[in-house]
Amino acid sequence: MRIKLYLLFSLFIFVNQFAFAQRKFNISGTIRDAATGETLIGATVKLSGKTTAGTLTNNYGYFALTQPEGEYEVIISYAGYQSILKTISLTKDTKLNEELKSANDLAEVTVSAANRKNENVKSAQMGLERIDMKSLNSIPVLLGEKDVLKTIQLLPGVKSGGEGNTGFYVRGGAADQNLIILDEAVVYNSSHLLGFFSTFNADAIKDVSLYKGGMPAQYGGRLSSVLDVKMDDGNNKEFKFQGGIGLIASRLKAEGPIVKDKGSFMVSFRRTYIDLFLRASPDSAINGSTLNFYDINAKANYKIDDKNTIYLSGYFGKDNIGVKDLFENNWGNVTTTLRLNHIFSDRLFSNTSLIYNNYNYTVRLLNDVTNFKATSLVRDFNFKQDFQYFSNKHLLRFGLNATHHRISPIDIESTAAQSQVNSLKQEKRYGLETALYVSDEWAVSEKLNFLYGLRLAAFSLLGPGNFSNYDTKGNILNTENIASGKFYKNYLNLEPRFSLSYLFNDENSVKASYNRNTQNIHILTNATSSSPTDQYVLSSNNIKPEIADQFSMGYFKNFEENNYEFSGEIYYKWMQNQIDYKNAAQLLANSNIESELLYGTGRAYGLELFFKKKFGKLNGWVGYTLSRTERKFAELNNGNYFPARQDRTHDVSLVGIYNMNKRWTFSSSFIYSTGNAVTFPAGKYTVNGQTVYYYTERNAGRMPYNMRLDVSATLEGKKTGRFQSSWNFGIYNVLARKNPYSIEFINDPNNPGRTVAEQTSLFGLIPSVTWNFKF
Amino acid sequence: MKNIILYIFLGLIFTSCKKIIDVDTNNAAPQIVIEGNISNRLIAQQIRISKTVGYDDLSNYPAVRGAKVTVNDSRGNTYNFTESLPGLYVFAMRGIPGITYTLQVDVDGKSYSAISKMPAVVPLDSIGVVKNTFFGNENINVAAYVSDPVNVENFYRFNLYVNDNLSDRIYVNNDRLTNGNKLRLQLFYDGPNDEDLKKGDKVAVDMECIDSNIFDYWYALNQQTGRGPNQGTTPANPTSNLSNGALGYFSAHTYQRLAITVP
Repeated sequence: MRIKLYLLFSLFIFVNQFAFAQRKFNISGTIRDAATGETLIGATVKLSGKTTAGTLTNNYGYFALTQPEGEYEVIISYAGYQSILKTISLTKDTKLNEELKSANDLAEVTVSAANRKNENVKSAQMGLERIDMKSLNSIPVLLGEKDVLKTIQLLPGVKSGGEGNTGFYVRGGAADQNLIILDEAVVYNSSHLLGFFSTFNADAIKDVSLYKGGMPAQYGGRLSSVLDVKMDDGNNKEFKFQGGIGLIASRLKAEGPIVKDKGSFMVSFRRTYIDLFLRASPDSAINGSTLNFYDINAKANYKIDDKNTIYLSGYFGKDNIGVKDLFENNWGNVTTTLRLNHIFSDRLFSNTSLIYNNYNYTVRLLNDVTNFKATSLVRDFNFKQDFQYFSNKHLLRFGLNATHHRISPIDIESTAAQSQVNSLKQEKRYGLETALYVSDEWAVSEKLNFLYGLRLAAFSLLGPGNFSNYDTKGNILNTENIASGKFYKNYLNLEPRFSLSYLFNDENSVKASYNRNTQNIHILTNATSSSPTDQYVLSSNNIKPEIADQFSMGYFKNFEENNYEFSGEIYYKWMQNQIDYKNAAQLLANSNIESELLYGTGRAYGLELFFKKKFGKLNGWVGYTLSRTERKFAELNNGNYFPARQDRTHDVSLVGIYNMNKRWTFSSSFIYSTGNAVTFPAGKYTVNGQTVYYYTERNAGRMPYNMRLDVSATLEGKKTGRFQSSWNFGIYNVLARKNPYSIEFINDPNNPGRTVAEQTSLFGLIPSVTWNFKF
Repeated sequence: MKNIILYIFLGLIFTSCKKIIDVDTNNAAPQIVIEGNISNRLIAQQIRISKTVGYDDLSNYPAVRGAKVTVNDSRGNTYNFTESLPGLYVFAMRGIPGITYTLQVDVDGKSYSAISKMPAVVPLDSIGVVKNTFFGNENINVAAYVSDPVNVENFYRFNLYVNDNLSDRIYVNNDRLTNGNKLRLQLFYDGPNDEDLKKGDKVAVDMECIDSNIFDYWYALNQQTGRGPNQGTTPANPTSNLSNGALGYFSAHTYQRLAITVP
């Protein structure tokens, strides 16, 4: 409580300090796309006159600046759009709502130097990657299903969860240490079909930002990264439709005004149709099987007046897999976000969000004696209040966040009289996560910028429930029964966040950052890729909050009029209270699951180099990561550090996009990475007449390296009236390289008595074709 | 479960591919391996002692000779095992359910010990065959029928013999989710050349009631087999009930056998 008061007090001092400034006026407004009315996130607004000042629009396209009275030239720019140049005389508080035209409407794609921002050099923010949705559409992917999560894996510091997999690891973190949010709602399981596709339908997405480090204080709850995905608001000027037909799935999106220029809606739908092929099979066992997933994204917004805008958005997705008379399995996420933007004053912007999200799965086994239905649910209610206070040299963000978690680990219901599986309800778990944060983005001088803040994160494990303590062998020492609504276990963590940038000139800067993150919801899985039946657990009497401290430093350079961008970052991350498992751990439907866990530490460090050509006929990037990721558990590997499975020393990615002419675009991506760290046998012995392997050092072996080249070509059709279509042709793994998926040790079939390693590869060369349209 | 889904998906859309590769691994120094069993049959109970060989070596496991092997039980009896074949130590006796047995091995100046309590007998009611259909393919598997007692935690292990050859799969069950029920435990079979069971095959099932440490041992071993590195759990040596870093296990278990011919 004392700390909370202190935070409020320091906030008060800040605000006061600004109030004593000289006679100044505000200029504020919202920047939108002229064709669709979509708000533009991160557009630059620059004022020059007696003094100069600049800012970026926030997540809702809003900006505010404060300057002394006088004449100013205003430049508003956004990558891929034509800039607006205006002269204003600032004699009173001024509204500036502007709409930018897309650069594509020009006869020639020329981007003026004014459009080329050097925000990446200037801002104190580090470790931030923003995905340009336009280049996302042309990057080749497996089966032509363009995918946000696969595209971010092509960035330095981000490693793929496996071939064709949407799971990812950021700077040595685990897959469950990424905060993945869609319109602020947590998406617990972001994968379809065991991770081959992600839940993000690119049609419905407006902006994707990935924070690998230097996490701003408004984000919290996960150790290693924040992936902030925002949905399209919908066109508020005219009705538009777009869609596509691919090998795996079809997509359709509709958008349009609710009230012209005041409100709009967007609905987007995607569904696979593999099971339609199954149904065509003459075999009754096959045509009775299901295998599909779908996604629905929907959003509506309405501008009530100049000061209030309301947004409602939702996501519903589901996977269904089943074999007739054998089993059924379905899983999916639901998210709903209700938001109110309120402008208290030109300088004080507020957003209030009410968020509901859940992840659930059902497994049914339909065998005559193994006949049961198992269900599981993770459900959050989340309230967020965020403020942004725009001042001359400061951008102050502060707010609070409260999330109530309910985890229903598993309910097993026996569904036949002769079923040998008993009904079982594993106790639900309840938790409350609350956070208060404040941060300040401070332009100290032309050369020096600070972004610093503090997040106070509290977690409480709530009753009702029976909570056990265990000895080292996993036997129950004692069990406490806690009543409903009682706070059983509380953790309080203070998370400092600090970044600075120092500009040598407009094109060169160095940056440094330190941040602490904590995490109170953990996934328990001993599989490599994400599984629909992953278990979620909260911090408890046994599981302590995971803590990560990350330091990073970097050099940033733009050259050739910001056409080229280079950055080099190094990081060191130290992680506490990491989780692993005992031998023979039984994770599923185990009320004493916490007795199966081991706790240790981790460290990760690396160098990331990134070189990008942003404009022109040929653009793209090269990324390289040199890194090491290790874990240490007293009970494993004799208590010594060992490489984490995703420790890959070298990771290279190359992306090239060539806009040959208005109709043809060619693109390719190439990846190379060191193989995963795995445990190979060092010897063998015999038990019960079978060969059994003897292991010494954990993860001391290496899988063979991964290498893959993908290519694609897009052909834009001629526009006839409103209608425009395009074809996308792709080839995944052009080199048809057999990349390792798993290795198994077997007796050599040609030389009995010898052991050989047999590698399994998943994908050969896979062509794809997709037809897209819009009108 | 997850693998089934994966196989369906891959089978439908992709062609996975296997090849033999070279891996870089060091050969470890030989370690001692003890495999001891005491059952409730009056037979020559066997304790086998051998050593590991390097990954690259031929699978000829050197016998450890000249060990002093004794078993004590909780009633105060001591059984001195004698070496009948190189590395094979035997003593003719009958184990008794409910009795705790302690193994003591002294060899090459080192001592190893382990404790195992023989559980009560849970009858193997019968064995039979079950037809499974998976994507139109019908195959036959053997099932063991067991009435699981409700008041105790039970752990079972099976050995499956097809035409007198021991199946190389590990069959191990507990009653965590099935306590007190009539169980039909299928022992899925995959022949040396991927063949299924067929009419006329002679099938025998050994059932052992084992203690919880031994269940964990086999369960851990089973989690690792057939998955290999990069899939499933990170392989590690299963936790043994033997002291002093010996590999293997010492199990006091009950024994029952039933045999049928596949109809």
